[in-house]
Amino acid sequence: MSAPLGTLRHAAAAFPDLLRVSWADMVAYRAEIVIWFLTGTLPIIMMLVWDRVAEAGDIGRFDQPAFAAYFTATLACRQLTGSWVVWEINQLIRTGSLSPALLKPLNPLLFLSAESLAEKPLRAAILVPLVALLFLWRPDMPLPLSPVQLSLAVVAIGLGWLLNVAIQVCFGCLAFRLEQTMGLYMVWFGLWALLSGYLFPLELMPPVARAVVQVLPFRATLGIPVEVLTGALSGWDAVGGLGLQVAWVLAVGLLARLLWRRGVRRYEAYGA
Amino acid sequence: MSATAVLRAVVAELRVAGMLAMRYRASFLAETVMSFGWVAWTVIPLLVVYEYRADVQGWTRDQALLVVGLFITLEGLLGALVEPNLRAVVEQVRDGTFDYTLLKPIDTQLLVSIHRIQPTELPHALSGLVVVGVAASRLDPLPGLGDVAAAALLLVAGLMLLHGLWTIVVATSFWFVRVDNLSVLLRSLLDAGRWPVGYYRGIVRFVLTWIVPVGLITTFPAMALRGQLQPQLLLATCGVSLGFSLLARAVWRFALRHYTSASS
Repeated sequence: MSAPLGTLRHAAAAFPDLLRVSWADMVAYRAEIVIWFLTGTLPIIMMLVWDRVAEAGDIGRFDQPAFAAYFTATLACRQLTGSWVVWEINQLIRTGSLSPALLKPLNPLLFLSAESLAEKPLRAAILVPLVALLFLWRPDMPLPLSPVQLSLAVVAIGLGWLLNVAIQVCFGCLAFRLEQTMGLYMVWFGLWALLSGYLFPLELMPPVARAVVQVLPFRATLGIPVEVLTGALSGWDAVGGLGLQVAWVLAVGLLARLLWRRGVRRYEAYGA
Repeated sequence: MSATAVLRAVVAELRVAGMLAMRYRASFLAETVMSFGWVAWTVIPLLVVYEYRADVQGWTRDQALLVVGLFITLEGLLGALVEPNLRAVVEQVRDGTFDYTLLKPIDTQLLVSIHRIQPTELPHALSGLVVVGVAASRLDPLPGLGDVAAAALLLVAGLMLLHGLWTIVVATSFWFVRVDNLSVLLRSLLDAGRWPVGYYRGIVRFVLTWIVPVGLITTFPAMALRGQLQPQLLLATCGVSLGFSLLARAVWRFALRHYTSASS
């Protein structure tokens, strides 16, 4: 069942159209996206808290503007790398709407990733005024963005998104076998929030914990894009970070492919 | 309808809710275990902050832990008592079955407020109380009986406020059917309540104290346990929450009068 080159080219040709359709969908539901956007605003609260904590003096390399820059980047990267594919897959399998989706000549996962990608411009559009507001509040926020650094950050964000999608496909595929999969994903999400740099910079963890967390996939989804965007990771270190991301994308991507294929075979065997 | 009849109906509703929750025993157990994990999730960021500071804005670690514990408790109570019920109303309005609820010979607001209680969220509230207990036992001086009573009173007042807030949101669903997202929005605002409201500055603090009274809900009871809440503030909070509940009830009744139902 290996995908021959023809299928791949076929998929690549269809993808822009998928994006266009999904984009129209997103524009239709733009108000909901604003609401969903607001569910990812915990970094703003953390920013206000750490800003207060750093008032009495620097914490590690962070002073007040540095915390502001860190959490602004976290907010942006979270919005741009996030995905809810796991929920969609869960829904497809549970309601049986996967059956008609499988009849189409394209992999349903392609539709889902197009949907997730198509909402990114809208999220970015909401981000712009918000980030501008945060800059008004702390104009001395350090964001050393050379063209090179910025392009590295864009790649890191893209890889973070890809890794998130792959991870969520894995969790979504559990629905082929288990009843309660969203609960399991929420466990992952909880760990992720603590270990990815979402709630506090990983540098503030004790050194031993930090050394472990450094290489885990959590940081690869969010921490690395944030570090590149804030300039904490630059030059070859940044390239190394991207390398780690690529490694995780490949590893989890292969696992996701395996789980998806097995799941679909099992699903078809039931004759749904 | 007599008071005993209402009481009997309430007890029956609660029993059914309990039975529904216990239906999937394994899932119930798993959720109980999970709720303790979520406690750790909420507490850890606070511990990281207090690794670096002994005192932030006049709150030591144990004192701030009171706020976190109260936040978890209210989150659990909200998830158990308020949210599932009001979500159910929105669904009924959408598919038209709300008419059957209206026909029942019992106060509609009471009925929809207890119809879908989710006991699986109660362990979450309980573990929040454990956090409060642990933090309170480390305070110096220990809170007196009066302080605990004041805190309990404020907790109830906070819950009433949340219930009123959600009721008003649901009442708007009679006009705008899609409001379940609004409850997502309220939740994310509530998130600010995990830190003492004194951490925030300027307009944010003002909004969190007086507009979306998150601070009032979690910080005031913690201040009561620290013995630092002036009696006037206690009275004012109870007054505000009572007034807000009455307002919510008025809004609800107004909305009911204008409910056009599915068939008309």
